[in-house]
Amino acid sequence: MVEEKTYNHLWEILSEVPDPEIPVINLVELGVIRKIEEQPDQDKIIVTITPTYMGCPAKKLFNDLIIEKLNSRGYMNVEIISQNHPVWTTDWLSEETKTKLLNEGISPPTIGDKIITCPHCKSTNTKMVSQFGSTPCQSLYKCNECLEPFNYFKCY
Amino acid sequence: MKITIENTEAKFIIRLADTSVILGQRLAEMCSSGPFLEEDIALSNIGLDLFGRAEELYKIVAKLDGNKFTPDDYVFRRNEREYYNLKLVEQPNDDFAYVIVRQFMHDVYVKEVFTQLLNSSNTELAGLAEKVLKEIRYSHLHCKDWMNRLGLGTEESNRRMQSAVDHLMKYVEEIFNFDDLDKKYLTDCEKLKTVWNNEIETTLNESNLKRNLVAPLTMRDYRDGFHSEHMGHLLSIMQYLPRAYPDAKW
Repeated sequence: MVEEKTYNHLWEILSEVPDPEIPVINLVELGVIRKIEEQPDQDKIIVTITPTYMGCPAKKLFNDLIIEKLNSRGYMNVEIISQNHPVWTTDWLSEETKTKLLNEGISPPTIGDKIITCPHCKSTNTKMVSQFGSTPCQSLYKCNECLEPFNYFKCY
Repeated sequence: MKITIENTEAKFIIRLADTSVILGQRLAEMCSSGPFLEEDIALSNIGLDLFGRAEELYKIVAKLDGNKFTPDDYVFRRNEREYYNLKLVEQPNDDFAYVIVRQFMHDVYVKEVFTQLLNSSNTELAGLAEKVLKEIRYSHLHCKDWMNRLGLGTEESNRRMQSAVDHLMKYVEEIFNFDDLDKKYLTDCEKLKTVWNNEIETTLNESNLKRNLVAPLTMRDYRDGFHSEHMGHLLSIMQYLPRAYPDAKW
């Protein structure tokens, strides 16, 4: 019981760490944090993370932010293990997270990049401007209805 | 520090890592020199993917070789002749057409290479291959678009694309002179060659470009660490800082 409580508590703490580039969602929602283990005998926390993209500039920052957050709550001995497999996928984003993204002006990923919704007027009559957007995980789109540009979170 | 690679599989994987980092460096050179803002961002993003991929590949190399060196050691502390990248990817950004044709030729090649590596008995490599294939999709689509757009564009854009194709094709032959390592770690070398030739020819055809017969270059193989003249210049820029200030940190 005690373990279970700590375990959930640690997940809650890490839910407070925002994604550095898309601060409206946190690292748990992004699916980056895969596993949190506690080794009470060594007073150590092991966090397993899966990076979103191999070349993501925020990759190193993720580690620092996680360690900083846990340290601030008194967990001083933190180890981070980075694993590439299973491969991170946008399927790990929940519907709730996708709604958050949409409300924040980022169109959430859809399977096969088929139906892209404009976050401003919710029209699906949209057009890609550039495959590559402001961060490696986003594309630049334009809405044909309200004519506003917006970012689309690419499907991986 | 002399960087050595002992493990046979590591010797194979470092070719992919080197190809990735050198092409990444070429794209990094395009940062703030792209033809327009969106394309500048696109090339930089593709470059980031290549650096990230290279880092993961070097980690696997290091692990296979007893973690004697770090990815940074491999990248910054090896000389020209100790690098095993395709000569294709070290060719300079002479013209935007060169950047695109080089990238497209590379993407078609690595797409099939990593498809074959999905079956690797090295589970880390197989896992990485799955990720690479997801990431490469966007770069591949992007370059294919440009191949069509510039090939079918104006007389001038077609001429420049054709000139890039003719020039870069000289560096292609060596890719398919497979050695024992290729045969050991790829599942089907001949298929790699066929897939590459087919896709390149299809795309050239639909872009109003030709695959002219080019005289093969009499340069020795990249697998033995041989390069074109551009490689030394590339490394001198890429490696200057860590060599001048070996303990620099930021």
